[in-house]
Amino acid sequence: MRTQSPYLLVSYAETNRVLPNPYQRVMVSVIVAAIVCIPFVAGGYFLHLMNLCSIAVIGAVGINLLTGYCGQLSLGQASFLAIGAFTTAILAQRFGLPFFVAIPASCCAGAMVGFLVGLPALRFRGIYLAITTLAMHYAIIYVLTDYQAVVGPSASAGITVPAPSLGGFTLNSERGWFYALLIVAVLVVMFGINLSRTYIGRAWIAIRDRDIAAEASGINVPYYKLLAFTISAALAALAGSLGAYFTTVVTVEEYTLELAIVYLAMIIVGGMGSITGAVLGAIFITLLPFGVERLFEVLPWQLGTTAFGIEQAAIGAAIIGFLLFEPDGLIEVYRRIATYFERWPFRYRELKGGSGR
Amino acid sequence: MELFVSILALGSIYALLAGGIVIVYKASRVVNFAHGELAIVGAYVFHSAGFLTGATLTGPSLLVTIAISAAGSTLFGVVIYLSLMRRLLGRPTFVAAMVTIGLAIILKAGIVVIWQSRSVGIAIGRQPLYSFAGGGRIAWIDLVSIVACVLMFAALAVFFQYTPLGRQFRGAAENPLLAAQRQVNVNLILALAWVLAVFSATLAGVLFGSRSMLSPQSTIIGLSGLTAALVGGLDSLRGAALGGFLVAAATYLTARLISPTLAETVPFLILLVVMTWRPWGLFGTLEELNRV
Repeated sequence: MRTQSPYLLVSYAETNRVLPNPYQRVMVSVIVAAIVCIPFVAGGYFLHLMNLCSIAVIGAVGINLLTGYCGQLSLGQASFLAIGAFTTAILAQRFGLPFFVAIPASCCAGAMVGFLVGLPALRFRGIYLAITTLAMHYAIIYVLTDYQAVVGPSASAGITVPAPSLGGFTLNSERGWFYALLIVAVLVVMFGINLSRTYIGRAWIAIRDRDIAAEASGINVPYYKLLAFTISAALAALAGSLGAYFTTVVTVEEYTLELAIVYLAMIIVGGMGSITGAVLGAIFITLLPFGVERLFEVLPWQLGTTAFGIEQAAIGAAIIGFLLFEPDGLIEVYRRIATYFERWPFRYRELKGGSGR
Repeated sequence: MELFVSILALGSIYALLAGGIVIVYKASRVVNFAHGELAIVGAYVFHSAGFLTGATLTGPSLLVTIAISAAGSTLFGVVIYLSLMRRLLGRPTFVAAMVTIGLAIILKAGIVVIWQSRSVGIAIGRQPLYSFAGGGRIAWIDLVSIVACVLMFAALAVFFQYTPLGRQFRGAAENPLLAAQRQVNVNLILALAWVLAVFSATLAGVLFGSRSMLSPQSTIIGLSGLTAALVGGLDSLRGAALGGFLVAAATYLTARLISPTLAETVPFLILLVVMTWRPWGLFGTLEELNRV
């Protein structure tokens, strides 16, 4: 057994490790073990929340690859989710296809739509791109509204999705969903982390930081931008598809512009350009409305019909608060705390130009 | 004729919204996604103020209500600038745009919390001004909308063209650093931009509320205003006025001739066409566009 410093790297395999030091490996194992044990101690309500978080994590990793890494501001995330959900609903309900066909097909459909929505990104950047994706969102939602009115039992009833089943086992309990969604979410997170460390991820970061310089260094900017849109939309469609199976009904009213903004809020709150940040942000924003609800149950006055408004306002306040006071998100808060303990009992100031401001 | 007047009246509202977006964009290069929310919240405040001053909204009580709304919107513009936008100076403009998205959510939630999402209408100018033989009629509010829009744009044109503060505004919009070196108070200019934006948004919201019922969903008119601003060019007031009427005409004609559900999507289809064909708009300048 080797007892050298964790900072001394002697092989390429060590430099390529996702978790470079033993402390991180222990910590991640403990967290994973704790999460796996959750269903044995927690109630159905808590599991339901965790399942919502898992779905949000998948979508948030998708939009973080696009907006956080590649720097392409997108307000079209809700339409990608809607495409995934509707493809699943049509394939599973109308054609009776099993989930292992419907889910990959939904991802492909999402990827294709993402490619189309990404085409304007070859001409614009920044806010113009955001406005174009906004217009695309409404165009897609209009088509789906029309479709729902034609296919569904009535214009507003939505399409029901049968529970996924394989060989006599039907996935319909919260506990079963918990493990299924957890596995997919972990795979997506690992995919995101690894992708961001490869040539593709570094090309995206280069495009985000300065697209002209990226082009000058030989990066095929249009290709990588479209790739970011395609992958991001595929992941969003995966989240939409799983969400459709999970909630068992798909209605177009669910996929509003607010949903796209909520996904944007997740990566703002979590930290743009960090997969761990996307996970933290997704959990934070998903639990925020429920947290606010609980808070007001404790407080003396009753909310009644205004509860929805207060929850929305909390999300808006989170967006503004993090952009103004903590632009690098929750991950930066974590890093600061970690640095404090790492250096304890010394208190070095952050170096100028580092991650601090 | 009735159709024409309706388009003009709706176009005036869109033009006012687009004008507010253009003023903020010119001054600070920030696209304001909260404009529709500002308009509808302004209209709700107007409605409540009208309720406080006497529910009839005629004569003196109407004047007091207008004064309260004007003062309130001016104050709100200053508050937005000082509390949010001032802190974002020097940061990338898309960060400020995202902050306006957050503001939009909070304002919309405010309608839900404060006004319980009630749908209300502002009962002014509903009386017919002129009735046609075929049964169509023009209400006073149509005339008021058009006149208000013309007055607002005329006042803005005079302000920007002939007053010292207006010249400073244009200077600061063109190059804030140089303007600041020539002793232009850029902070004042930016605060003024937000005041003008919130004021015109409130005006548009009140006019809109007099034509149709207000609800949290009405905030979508902000996106029609944004489309109008983009059609005309994000940095051109003339363009905003023309864009407003074009978008109104397209929306109204689609609702009449094809289908009302498609009409809701028409602004976004126009947006897509403009963005592919001429992203800098009809009167905008090419170098404004962040081209790759």
